[in-house]
Amino acid sequence: ATLCFQAFLQMCNLPIRVICRANAEYMSPSGKLPFIHVGNQVVSELGPIVQFVKAKGHSLSDGLDEVQKAEMKAYMELVNNMLLTAELYLQWCDDVTVEEITHPRYGSPYPWPLNRILSYQKQWEVRRKMKAIGWAGKTLEQVLEDVDQCCHALSQRLGTQPYFFNKQPTELDALVFGHLFTILTTQLITDELSEKVKNYSNLTAFCRRIEQQYFEGQERDSAAIAARSSKRSLLR
Amino acid sequence: MAAPMELSCWGGDWGLPSLHPQSLTVMAYAKFSGAPLTVNTINKSWRTPKGDLPVLVSEDIVISQPAKILNFLRKRKYNADYDLSAKQGADTLAYVALLEEKLLPALLHTFWIEAENYCSVTKPWFASRIAFPLSLYLPGKMSREALNRILLTKGGPPLYSLTEVEAQIYRDAKECLNLLSKRLGTSQFFFGDTPTTLDAFVFGFLAPIYKVCFPRVHLQEHLKQLPNLCRFCDDILTCYFRLTVSGHSPAGQDTADANLQKLTQLVNKESNLIEKMDDNLRKSPQHPPRKLTTLKLAAGGEESSPMSRLSP
Repeated sequence: ATLCFQAFLQMCNLPIRVICRANAEYMSPSGKLPFIHVGNQVVSELGPIVQFVKAKGHSLSDGLDEVQKAEMKAYMELVNNMLLTAELYLQWCDDVTVEEITHPRYGSPYPWPLNRILSYQKQWEVRRKMKAIGWAGKTLEQVLEDVDQCCHALSQRLGTQPYFFNKQPTELDALVFGHLFTILTTQLITDELSEKVKNYSNLTAFCRRIEQQYFEGQERDSAAIAARSSKRSLLR
Repeated sequence: MAAPMELSCWGGDWGLPSLHPQSLTVMAYAKFSGAPLTVNTINKSWRTPKGDLPVLVSEDIVISQPAKILNFLRKRKYNADYDLSAKQGADTLAYVALLEEKLLPALLHTFWIEAENYCSVTKPWFASRIAFPLSLYLPGKMSREALNRILLTKGGPPLYSLTEVEAQIYRDAKECLNLLSKRLGTSQFFFGDTPTTLDAFVFGFLAPIYKVCFPRVHLQEHLKQLPNLCRFCDDILTCYFRLTVSGHSPAGQDTADANLQKLTQLVNKESNLIEKMDDNLRKSPQHPPRKLTTLKLAAGGEESSPMSRLSP
């Protein structure tokens, strides 16, 4: 998710500095990462940040008409609904991944036993949420199938265009880029999730294009920070 | 040559075939694609559902969620999306996600959590359709599940109290309705002139808001300000469910007429039987004709007849 914001802010041509902090969740006003700190204002979550940036005079979706704006919102919900939930599922509900990757990573800044307690608490929270929306009964294959369906839809919508709404990048492009890049670059036990995404060549080309256009301008160090922060974004 | 398919779902009222959004979606899709479904509405029988409704049963296969039911129907060649391009198919998926994220919480809230609505309309209606003693337990459980879902998906900080969450979900729902209205514009269905999966989902979610008479109705009032969405719901109801806007079903009147005919036939049969019995009585030798007037006029030979008449 951090990557979505970085991409979005880069697309708006606003310079940013990324900082990793262990207590970032507690610093954020809404408990959700990431958040931006501008002057003496702190804003978190994609929706409010977009509005904040718009109020300051930068907006990416001004060129769209009403119907296109409706479509954009719908696709953003699709990405949130499917990809985000699938990522959460894979991190916290798939036992193998949880044991080997998530628990160590989530608890790494803290000493024992705090690391175990916090990660179990987070896992319990996520599993409750999955149950409420009906994903608890899904097997890994079903989740992967849903991800495939979602990628198929995104791939169809993108087609051969450079961005989702033709020439200009919009919030949707930033969001999709953030999620797909995270999926493609983070290492998990199995590569099935990234394989699903790699099946769609126009999506991988899209990610590479945005990466080159907006992130290559920075130095190697900041690219490394971006990669590390993208790994941290999986901890949510 | 398809196996018969049976759908169990919640029944309807206020002019709708069903009050439950997911059941309504599946029924609408079946009508659009021409799938022959027999619909069983849940009534006060002991065969209560074990999982979530709607449930499709075909031979031995039991399928329970709307998305899976629709997939199953599509595999059986009942496809309402045949004419759609791949991009439109992708749009369908996106808009359905929008509906579930933005509109469903407000729908659940209006039905199950808003205290006045729940106590005066939803709970009695559902309880009257479930067998006792499950009717004491099941509506409460559905209400708790709805509250849980809303709080877990929408209620994270900074929205700490239920009233703030409520304000947010109704704002989202109104925005979603506005977006749908803009997308529909002036066309009859979302993708041209034939209805598709997206139309089924939108209808399933909108129709309960539109038609059910609740005491607290601000979402309904907002919907009524979007005339193209109202027209969309009414069109589907009149064309596909053959219900007039006032809610009387001609199919229902047909059944009433049929019942009336059967009743008339039964009455006729009974009167025929009575006439036959009368004839038998008259023809039988133990019971001479009861012609009192003729007795008086007749000769004394008939004096024994009153006595025999009195015998059973």
